[in-house]
Amino acid sequence: MFSDKIELKDFEKTDPEYQDLIRRVLAIQADCEIGGPNLYVKDILPNAPTKLDQLIVARTAAEEMDHFRKMAKLAGDVGVDVTYVLSWPNQKRYVEAFRGQITTWEDFAVFGFLVDRVGRFQLEEFLDCTYLPLARVVEDPDIIQEEIGHVDFGTNLAAEFAAKGGEAKERIQKAVDYWYVKGLDMFGNSQSKRSERYMFWGLKRRPNAVARQQYKDEVDALIKKMGLTVPDPNKGRLYT
Amino acid sequence: MEAAPITQALDDHMKDVIVAVKRAVSSAIPHIKDDPKVVDKAIEDCKEILDLVMEGNVSEWFS
Repeated sequence: MFSDKIELKDFEKTDPEYQDLIRRVLAIQADCEIGGPNLYVKDILPNAPTKLDQLIVARTAAEEMDHFRKMAKLAGDVGVDVTYVLSWPNQKRYVEAFRGQITTWEDFAVFGFLVDRVGRFQLEEFLDCTYLPLARVVEDPDIIQEEIGHVDFGTNLAAEFAAKGGEAKERIQKAVDYWYVKGLDMFGNSQSKRSERYMFWGLKRRPNAVARQQYKDEVDALIKKMGLTVPDPNKGRLYT
Repeated sequence: MEAAPITQALDDHMKDVIVAVKRAVSSAIPHIKDDPKVVDKAIEDCKEILDLVMEGNVSEWFS
């Protein structure tokens, strides 16, 4: 297991596999950060229920763009220009959850509740990782605190819809059904060889299956607490 | 290690954009109940800025 701590100035001296994995994960992370705003700015910013909600959507997008900026800077410093993800249509995103369009306030709520929560899990993978510039970005309290803010906003909003009962509850259940499996899939294949290499090089802390199970335990408890039904975790999955 | 050529320019541009959106939001929130014109203008500004980023015409940002 690799445990050296690598600064940017030493990056070129590292194993080519280490360099490839860093470049790959930074490009994917940058894409995911900008992928969120691309899902909801177009339809949700102008149509959120109140003006305060519209401002919250704008601030959320700005914070995600700042996370993109930080990942793009890390990628750029190791020679990877990730500006191509800024012009990608949603259908081309690395991660399937970002390939659609969010058009309802319920979906925006559940996206925060379930998908931004995966974002928090992914960022936590890099805490104390061997590539110090990346570890420093995620250990700066801003990025994870902002992600937690998005998760909490979405969770509280989803709980409010559920508590209303009737059609509101049905609509939020439908959104949970849609995003739940996408969230589970975001952790990737449980048998992923690449995931093992990330762990070998000290770039991730948990195997995909372990992170997914911890996430599932957390969200299942919250879904039940809201009085909603936990969707079938195997229905419509791309990865297991 | 040589950085990708656009790295610093992109970082600077994104910082400016993010500050502009956050400033618009922060200036509007205290007026949610008492000044709809200020709030509407802030939302309009945010939308205009964010739409440009979402369009992703990066080459135009630096031309």
